Amino acid sequence: MGIITRSFVNGLTTNGVLGASNINNASLNNITSISGPEMTLISSATASNSASIEFSLGNYKEYQFFFVNIHQSIDQAYFQVNFSTDNGSNYNVTKTTSAFNAFHTEADSDEFVYASTTDVAQSTANANLSILTGNGNDENQSGYLHLFNSSSATFVKHFISDLQCNYRVGLPASVNYKVAGYANTTSALTNIKFEFSEGNIDAGTIYMYGIGA
Amino acid sequence: MARFKLVNGVSVQLTAEEEAARDAEEAAFAAGAFDRAIANVRSKRNALIAATDYHALSDNTLSAEMTTYRQALRDITNGVTTVEQANSITWPTKPE
Repeated sequence: MGIITRSFVNGLTTNGVLGASNINNASLNNITSISGPEMTLISSATASNSASIEFSLGNYKEYQFFFVNIHQSIDQAYFQVNFSTDNGSNYNVTKTTSAFNAFHTEADSDEFVYASTTDVAQSTANANLSILTGNGNDENQSGYLHLFNSSSATFVKHFISDLQCNYRVGLPASVNYKVAGYANTTSALTNIKFEFSEGNIDAGTIYMYGIGA
Repeated sequence: MARFKLVNGVSVQLTAEEEAARDAEEAAFAAGAFDRAIANVRSKRNALIAATDYHALSDNTLSAEMTTYRQALRDITNGVTTVEQANSITWPTKPE
């Protein structure tokens, strides 16, 4: 508990409510914690020509994975995700996804396309989180993935990802790729894996946060 | 060369079974290169045609330029037999 100043106390009503007109730097400085679910950094992993990056999942209501400067070892591969229900022995959970991307080249051509060639329907194979991306020295992708209530024994598990990269099939471009889907199982997910469809994760860091344990 | 994966931040060497599974995945992915490339072309082609569908409604008159443009899109995959060709297609310019 922080120090409660006289000015802070004077801003409280008789019911203990801090009036809007009294919320200022001085009053905010007295707040030492806020109730509610916290966002906890659980783990991070920095790739070094790694075949995959895997994390164990627990009982958080939501997981957020942040991808920072993910760089691949082989040109034209998909960044992908899969899940395990047996502690990482097998990554083969059935998934259905939808995906679309906005694409704008440095030469000023653009398109907005539903990604019918990269979504999956009831597939146990990896689900794509990006279009085919490149491995040029300055090429990389960054973004995030939300995974909801992965330990549920009742519901399928929804996930939403949003990745930004700067390449597509030889064209310098901004590509924003959005995927949403669900792991079609009522078993708890125990692990998550990220990898490229071909080659390794040459560099980059993935941070795993949990919210609402 | 041995592969390594990161599990909760710790580097772990792939087992022989994992290496074999990964090799099989990569071989399958490589074998599908042309299918992916031509599917991407068709996806874009379909989106571009759909974007001009309203020109072809019964109460609109389709201009000769738009007719040519839409036909060029329909023919865009003709003669495309390699990944390189699929990835270097010159798309027709949409008429004003």
